Amino acid sequence: MNIVELKNVCKSYPSFRLQDVSFALEAGTITGFIGRNGAGKTTTIKSMLNLVHTDSGEVSYFGLSLTGNETQIKQRLGYSTGTVSWYPRKTIRDIAGITKSFYPSWDEEAYRHYLVLFGLDESKKPIELSEGMKVKCNLLLALSHKAEVLILDEPTSGLDPFSRDELLELFTELKAHGVTILFSTHITSDLERCADNIVYISRGKIRSDCPKATFLQSFGKPGETLEEVFLRMEREVDA
Amino acid sequence: MSALLKKEMRLSASILSYLFILFAFMTLLPGYPILCGAFFITLGLFQSFQSAREANDIVYTALLPVAKHDVVKGKFLFCVFIELTGFVLMAALTLVRMTLLSNAMVYRQNALMNANPFFLAVVLLIFGLFNWIFVGGFFKTAYKFARPFVTYIIVCFLVIGVAEALHHVPGLEALNAFGFEQLALQLAALLGGMLACGLITFASYKTACARFEKIDL
Repeated sequence: MNIVELKNVCKSYPSFRLQDVSFALEAGTITGFIGRNGAGKTTTIKSMLNLVHTDSGEVSYFGLSLTGNETQIKQRLGYSTGTVSWYPRKTIRDIAGITKSFYPSWDEEAYRHYLVLFGLDESKKPIELSEGMKVKCNLLLALSHKAEVLILDEPTSGLDPFSRDELLELFTELKAHGVTILFSTHITSDLERCADNIVYISRGKIRSDCPKATFLQSFGKPGETLEEVFLRMEREVDA
Repeated sequence: MSALLKKEMRLSASILSYLFILFAFMTLLPGYPILCGAFFITLGLFQSFQSAREANDIVYTALLPVAKHDVVKGKFLFCVFIELTGFVLMAALTLVRMTLLSNAMVYRQNALMNANPFFLAVVLLIFGLFNWIFVGGFFKTAYKFARPFVTYIIVCFLVIGVAEALHHVPGLEALNAFGFEQLALQLAALLGGMLACGLITFASYKTACARFEKIDL
């Protein structure tokens, strides 16, 4: 069953165009969203969160269109990014304390659990955290309201190998509990470990949307890693 | 609505927005353009917009399970809350000047504006102009605030200058009434200020919502 669907999403900027982006996320799967810088990953994600207005096309979650059902959908959605930190001078306790008032589904027990798991101190402020810990802080907020869909924009960037490993394990665990994850990243080795599907975007167009094994079979040569396939495909597009 | 206001107060606001409410006490200053107190209260609000921008507050709020126009609503609610608190304090101090201190020489010999309902009406007009020019202007982009704030400063000080000068115009002396003199006129002015502030703020809120809906974050 498709939990998230994008149909022919288009968005034009003066120097960039997102063209007919369509893909779907199945319940309880991890989908790796890959593409080089400027390929359209962030614009696609922002369209999925209604942060940018699409020129045409439709984004839907749980069978409901994002247009007109935004509040209801966002209750069941979590977003985390490795590139932005929110309220750098407020304590995690304050940020979480306010955030939870927007989510009736907020799970205090889960919040405490992830605080310990991520080694976060509630009295710390994002400005006092390393880049990796900031990612964990964002994830903590996304995971504490029992999001059914997680949209993760480079969640492992800035993390040390041990923390990355922990997170990938956590994503696999969440998937087993039925959580659907869209995982945008440059670190394709992370996707080798946990992704079920790969959506590959290049120059604003979806070039491939299929299970990881099919992706490797269709585009890879024997013995090639996901990163090698990705690099070769990009070079082919450039050529 | 209360969650939005709580978020603005605890996460987005600068401490200066609260501290600058104390500029309401300028109402008691003799020989000083007391309307500047209203300007300083809005200057405190401006600080909150600055700190909110640094904290990526607009995008964070837009990601919460709220409608996009609720981001605008939160900012307006916070501004109105601070302005209302400042106004109530100014109104109480004005009442003190109108009753206990109505015959104090320092106020009687004051060439500048007296604290009375007309003064409160102009305070409300200034708050309305802040909500319109600055807050409404900010939501054209949701990150640029220099131009709307400079425009607001210019307009605000023009209004202060005109309001200070009005009671020197022959026939308009009643605007500077002491105690409960000219009460009907004074209360009519206050009512006018309330209406102007309410209408300007509401119109600005509606415009800001429409503008913000079109913005890509």
